[in-house]
Amino acid sequence: MSGEILGIVLRRIAVAIPLMLLVSILVFIVLRLIPADPVAMSMPPNATNEDIEALRREMGLHLPVMHQYAIWLGHILEGDLGRSIAFGQPVFKLIGQSLPATIELAVLGALFATAIGLPGGILLFRLRGRPSEQAVDVGSTLMMSIPEFLWALFLILVFGVAFNLLPFAGRLPPDMTIPRVTGFLLLDCLLTGDLTAFLEAIRHMLLPALALALGTVPLIMRLLRSSLLDVIGEDYVTMARLRGVPERRVINRHALRNALLPTLSLMGVQFGFLFGGTLLVEVIYSYPGLGNLMVEAVRNTDLPIIQGAALVFALAVLTINLAVDVVYIVVNPKLRRAR
Amino acid sequence: MRRRTLIAGLAVGTAAALAVAPPLAPQAQAAKDSVVIAWQVDPQTWDPNKRTVPVRQSLYKMVYDQLLTQAPDIKLEASLATKWSQSADGKTVTLDIRDNAYWHDGTKVTSADVKYTFLERGKAGHKIDLVRIWRNVADIETPTPTRAVIKLSKPMATAIPWLAFLANFVVPKHHVEKVGADGFADKPMGSGPYKVVDYQRNSRIVLEAFDKYWGPKPKIRKVTILIMKDPSARVAAVQSGRVDFAPDVPIREVGRLDKMAALSGRIFPISRVILLQIRSDKAFADKNVRLAAHHAINKKAISQALYAGKAVPLSIVAPPGTPGYVEDFEFPYDPAKSKALLAKSGFSTDKPLKIGMASFNGNFPGDYDIARAIVSMWKKVGIEANLQVIEYSKYFELNRGNKLPEATLYSWDNAVGDPEMFTGYLMHPKLPFSAWKDMDVGGRVMKLFGVVDYDKRIQGYKDVAVYASKQGAVMPLLQSVITWVHKSDLQVVQYNNGWALPQTWSWK
Repeated sequence: MSGEILGIVLRRIAVAIPLMLLVSILVFIVLRLIPADPVAMSMPPNATNEDIEALRREMGLHLPVMHQYAIWLGHILEGDLGRSIAFGQPVFKLIGQSLPATIELAVLGALFATAIGLPGGILLFRLRGRPSEQAVDVGSTLMMSIPEFLWALFLILVFGVAFNLLPFAGRLPPDMTIPRVTGFLLLDCLLTGDLTAFLEAIRHMLLPALALALGTVPLIMRLLRSSLLDVIGEDYVTMARLRGVPERRVINRHALRNALLPTLSLMGVQFGFLFGGTLLVEVIYSYPGLGNLMVEAVRNTDLPIIQGAALVFALAVLTINLAVDVVYIVVNPKLRRAR
Repeated sequence: MRRRTLIAGLAVGTAAALAVAPPLAPQAQAAKDSVVIAWQVDPQTWDPNKRTVPVRQSLYKMVYDQLLTQAPDIKLEASLATKWSQSADGKTVTLDIRDNAYWHDGTKVTSADVKYTFLERGKAGHKIDLVRIWRNVADIETPTPTRAVIKLSKPMATAIPWLAFLANFVVPKHHVEKVGADGFADKPMGSGPYKVVDYQRNSRIVLEAFDKYWGPKPKIRKVTILIMKDPSARVAAVQSGRVDFAPDVPIREVGRLDKMAALSGRIFPISRVILLQIRSDKAFADKNVRLAAHHAINKKAISQALYAGKAVPLSIVAPPGTPGYVEDFEFPYDPAKSKALLAKSGFSTDKPLKIGMASFNGNFPGDYDIARAIVSMWKKVGIEANLQVIEYSKYFELNRGNKLPEATLYSWDNAVGDPEMFTGYLMHPKLPFSAWKDMDVGGRVMKLFGVVDYDKRIQGYKDVAVYASKQGAVMPLLQSVITWVHKSDLQVVQYNNGWALPQTWSWK
């Protein structure tokens, strides 16, 4: 099996290289087509037109777009994503500092989505045909139609203001500081042996992670219900029932295993979206992640950061998809043989 | 108990415990020598010479010193420089540097640091805006550690106010040379009232009072700044008591929060103007039309509707309290006159003048609402404006390509209030922030850039500001306001340029 998985990974990587190249071209060209002047907007009020032109030349913005792209690509191959216009720092460093927070948040968001979505899907399935099914269905539609940033604000109002239960700014309380070791705060708290900080970090992550997760939960619920409805009429389920296996066990032990496969695939795709959803959620919760950096970069038309962050987001989605494929094959022997 | 039930129980129990448990860390309000602020922007870089973004100046003022600073009424005051003068030809600025100022590592601030900041950083190739601002510095002499003499290759009439303006913070030569420009942006060291203890980009800044600070010792010993860019989050933070001070709160929320016993809300005008930048050609080549458009705008009504009446209507591009303000000039709201002027040029409500107008949406409070109000007011007199929403960065691209529409709603910040930084930079036809390219008004402005005599220069700007309004070369609208909400027992000092400086605050 490991040989098969290695083959898939290599095939996926072979496809990912031209895909990343395509993404990089698209991002680069689209950004150049936007009528914006990132140089002039960062100038002091007594700047002259000559100052602006000199800086444009210094940044290579006077060159033809494909020439600029070739230079940028050359630098990327050397591990250099350029320098941020607004921050004045290497983009690689800025992304490196921000990415762990986003990964941490997105993973917790995915865990929340799974923890709520899977039991929710089973509940929805069990309620089929009952009047309460409609109510849960309407509730899940409502959840799905609310974007992440609105969830973020709603959760702040409820848990942060009305009940004043949970924090909603940053990753730790104002008077708490943890030395940066890996950038993954939870891990750093454990590495430094500070359990209080660890619990505080979890408390600070609850609302943003929940805001990210709530939009995904109904999708998981609905797909799982639908998959369960598909498999519930299969022979092996009927056989289990004929053997006198209790209904709960029939669902959880026999039907759920097969019904989970399409759900797993969806969760993989949704994790990619969750990653993208961090943009506004991080801004609202003062979370120092890549999404927050990206929003700042867009506000400043900071082309090097936008380009670099877009590549990282694309790479993250490809990696997640690859991971899902691998898991899919591991849990589904039929697929292994088919490939 | 079954394993699954046990796990589920534990998960629910942990979540509930985390949610209902009291915060493990003490709340901000418990300590009376500390303050928690919800600030609206990240500093982006701790190199204060790097960029000239007005909203970040307060952050830099907490950590760094300028050669000159400003009083709450924005008058210039001594800071690192105790005395200052400029020669009659405008080419020499002499500064006496105080001998009791220290960097945060305990080293003394000297004139060598001034020379390094204003001259040597540029020569070393550091990419900082300060180099562009002081492009005409030929040399800086440092005859003693407490004397710096700036030699300019050309007269710089506003050299003194610039020393208190954007990005003009003195940086430590020894530290920047040691850690490099990139390192300095991450490891700030200033001579200001606070030193940076912790900084997490886009999330949090922790400052502690610097014991060897030369000025008054801050009563607030610890400042925690949470970077909260979303206005709703700032409102929630101050309402829930998690922060003590929140700036840039939506106007309607200020009124609501002010009614709470524990909170105080403030809306006050600062040295920032909201104006319509005008093109001197296309449909606005006709002076009658420009003046008609200006007379049709009811600035007082806009102020009442959007800024609780606190934004002062302006007739020139200089607000009250700044040196270039002219008290006895008013450009009146007069729709009848507007209609008459339009009729002279052949336009009416039946045969409206068609123009383009650009506005931001969310770049400054109420921007798009002002634009829509103006479009509506213009429609009543016979001007049909096609309103286009643009991004801040697009504004520069359009202006650079001379593609702005006839009128563009803009906000211009000027913390020092000098008229060159208002009318000068906004109306100088060769500078990138000017939309007006005609040389009648533009030529008058350009001449003033060479006038060093303070009184003559200020009078010159007063005259040209009135002239520009009378010519319809610019449509000043309102003195902009800012908003603060803070705990009622926190005493904050209000600066007329909008600075929020915790070193001047105290708890009752």
